[in-house]
Amino acid sequence: MLRFLVRRTLGAVVILFLLSIVTFLLFFGMPRDPGLLMCGKTCNPTSLANIHHVLGLDKPISTQYGIFLKNLVMGSNGFAQGPCPAPCFGYSYHTNDQVWATLIDRLPTTISLTLGGAFFFLLIGLGTGLLAAWKRGTIIDKTATAGAMVLSSMQIYFLGPLALALLVYQTHIFDKPAYNNFTANPVSWFTGLIIPWVVLSTIFAAQYTRMARSAMIEQLQEEHVRTAKAKGMSRRYVFFRYAWRGSLIPIVTIFGIDLGALLGGAIITEYTFSLPGLGNLAVQAVFFSDLPLLLGVMIFSATMILLFNIIVDACYAFIDPRVRLA
Amino acid sequence: MSRGGRHVYAALSVLAAGALVLTGCSKGGSDASDNNKQDKENAARQQKSIKFGDAADSTGPAAAVAGAKSGGTMEVLQRDSFAHLDPGQIYVSDEMALSQLIHRGLTGYKATTTDGKSHEVVGDLATDSGTTTDGGKTWKYTLKDGIKFQDGTPITSTDIRQTVERLFAPFINQGPSYLQQWLADSAGADYRKLLPDGPYKGKHLPSSVLETPDSKTIIFHFKTPHSDLPYALAMAGYSIVSAKGDTQAKYDKTPVVTGPYKIQSFKSGKSMVLVKNTNWDPKTDPIRHQYVDQFNFTFNQQFETSTKALLADSGADQAGVSFSNQVDAGNLSSVLKDPKMKSRTISGYQPYVGQMNINMSHASMKDKTVREAIAYALPITPFVRAFGGTDAMEVAGGTLSPTVSGYNAAFDPWGKKTKPAGDPEKAKALLKKAGKLNMKLTFGYTNTPEGQQYSTAMAAGLKKAGFNVQRQEIPAETYYDQISKLDNNYDIFHTAWGADWPSASTVIPPLYDGRGIADGAQNYPQVNDPKVNADIDAANKITDPVKAAAAWEKIDEYLVKDVVAFVPTAYYKQTQIAGSKVGGLVYDDVIGGVDPRRLFVK
Repeated sequence: MLRFLVRRTLGAVVILFLLSIVTFLLFFGMPRDPGLLMCGKTCNPTSLANIHHVLGLDKPISTQYGIFLKNLVMGSNGFAQGPCPAPCFGYSYHTNDQVWATLIDRLPTTISLTLGGAFFFLLIGLGTGLLAAWKRGTIIDKTATAGAMVLSSMQIYFLGPLALALLVYQTHIFDKPAYNNFTANPVSWFTGLIIPWVVLSTIFAAQYTRMARSAMIEQLQEEHVRTAKAKGMSRRYVFFRYAWRGSLIPIVTIFGIDLGALLGGAIITEYTFSLPGLGNLAVQAVFFSDLPLLLGVMIFSATMILLFNIIVDACYAFIDPRVRLA
Repeated sequence: MSRGGRHVYAALSVLAAGALVLTGCSKGGSDASDNNKQDKENAARQQKSIKFGDAADSTGPAAAVAGAKSGGTMEVLQRDSFAHLDPGQIYVSDEMALSQLIHRGLTGYKATTTDGKSHEVVGDLATDSGTTTDGGKTWKYTLKDGIKFQDGTPITSTDIRQTVERLFAPFINQGPSYLQQWLADSAGADYRKLLPDGPYKGKHLPSSVLETPDSKTIIFHFKTPHSDLPYALAMAGYSIVSAKGDTQAKYDKTPVVTGPYKIQSFKSGKSMVLVKNTNWDPKTDPIRHQYVDQFNFTFNQQFETSTKALLADSGADQAGVSFSNQVDAGNLSSVLKDPKMKSRTISGYQPYVGQMNINMSHASMKDKTVREAIAYALPITPFVRAFGGTDAMEVAGGTLSPTVSGYNAAFDPWGKKTKPAGDPEKAKALLKKAGKLNMKLTFGYTNTPEGQQYSTAMAAGLKKAGFNVQRQEIPAETYYDQISKLDNNYDIFHTAWGADWPSASTVIPPLYDGRGIADGAQNYPQVNDPKVNADIDAANKITDPVKAAAAWEKIDEYLVKDVVAFVPTAYYKQTQIAGSKVGGLVYDDVIGGVDPRRLFVK
């Protein structure tokens, strides 16, 4: 297992390294000069050159990349805005905020959104999927399957504003979505995020319903499950002890990918509900051609996805002893 | 100012496409009778020119707002976070609105009526709007008694010197540069040579440029007259910085403020809390109030979100407002049609005026008859409609906004106010006369939902007049980068520009002085007309604001009617909304939005 983890971690580092190079090159490949965005109304070549110099954009790309890597690993005291300890992504071109501090500041919003959303979509999705498999062929199964089909075709940018209009602005049943610090006020944390969680879970739960149902039905037809039934074990015991465990692998795989992607920033959800998480930060980085922020968000998001992929792979061994990770 | 953050807003609007699509269904087109009524109001407004106030006008406290009471917390819903708090870096409207509450300058705009439509420039930290005895080459200011920074330190001429000198330092690169250029008597960015490191390496501006003979007196010396100095010093970008608290680049995060409010907390991109500055003395301030106990800012609120939240008028949003967000295009018509909702709105002009530029560097555009044909043919209705109709845009005659001195409501050489859909017949006759029927016309447009919408209909109008229009899409994120290149491919393309103060001196020279043509500069149509250049020089020397306004008006009319390098399209307007518990809600023409200084919680 240790060897596996080391190997996968090294692979992830290589991927992140390549990703940072690609992001760097793509940024400079864009027909857009970040200096111009800061140049103000009376922009002229001299002002622009001054801005390029202040941002370090007057250096060759390879040199800039080298400085980026060095700062990332060793930190830097060379920024006018102040010291930048490792991991140093530098300071935002647009806001002059330290990028790493900004990422950490936005992380609780994204983690809260992700974990809460995941709790709801797993609870609803898996619960409905299991129920549909348990009641296979009945009206319950058909309703759950059809409902999942309808919900999986919904989009957050449709459901989100609809939920806001109905539940917040017209009926005032729920608070306007906002992120409040959990430690400061757990109740307002919960009430501020309940609508984003529900909307997020509505979209995601549908696919888990379908996946759990089909995986369970497939497992229930496996020989070892049939054997268990033939031995006289109860339906409930066979369902949860044998079939459920076997159906977990595809669910965990997708869940790991979803969780990683959501932790990297649920862009549309955060944008729809005006939540200041990593997704909103990614939008800001792109719109302002903010290279340090863009690199920070990209690498952070990619790290999350890779990390959860490794965790998923490691989980296989625990879920299914037949899987060996050597 | 150019459309502040225009690239970003354009790009963001793509994400808000759902709302913007509704624009096409909302009240559209322009109505001649609406325009006539508006013209009359604007003409009346322009008769009241902005005066430079004396010591009596500059004495605090500000006149009380009727019915105002102190206390309460006001929620402020903003789309964009504040990128800069250092006055020297402030140039976009959101930060300018904030600075009304936290920063003060030597001069400022005092509203002389309660509707926010009449103003005078008065002394803010200074005792008056400035005195000059040599026609604008030397300006003297004296600081008031009792003015302090938030930490209780008295504001002295040393702070004013620091404020001015640090504008030359390399890290200050986003604020206005008028004062620096005037002091250095140099155009472009060469002004930095006067004090390349700012005041940070022991060097200072010589007394031939800036004098501070005692702790209260400041004297500016210019080589050429600059009668607009009181206007310029009222810009947020020239608000005062503490010499003791100047932390250079870090000041952008921790400014030492002078206004009625100070920053209790700021989480960039998330929230900001302003509380009362106890070292602000209302007796020294003829402009601001301090009614509200606390302002809570929340960022990332899109126009549609803030509109719906404020329309819902529940909970804390009952005392909610936005300094910069406007009612989104999708809700605008319904809000204005409902008297109950409308009573919570304010409307007015933004400083921007749209222009369809004609690229004078292209051989095919050098024929004036062709340009006149474009001017007659170009339909403005699609542009107005794309942005939400006449509630959001008003058909323009000239390039000077109704909020700028020199605006002439009757000026409409291409008949746009009476025929906003264009005059294709007249245009076709002109094109035929020039022997250019079916000539190719490359129309560069931004790929925002609005750009897609208006460019299609505008192209159709031009085609009707006999042009072979080729539309070329330009990504919104790089639009201004592309069209400001001298060697660009587009025959016509749209831009917008706003005055920095209510004088055309901040519109015509940056846009149409032929000596300013350069890559990335703002003379988009590349106009280089000797008469315009000479007239600009002459107008810049006029010290009487009324006479100057008349001179600028003449240049504007010559540019629009005789040079025909662009076609004015529309004056940008906006409507903002607030919760039912917000008092003192007034649209201020100079701020170009809600006046935060008068607000109170009912």
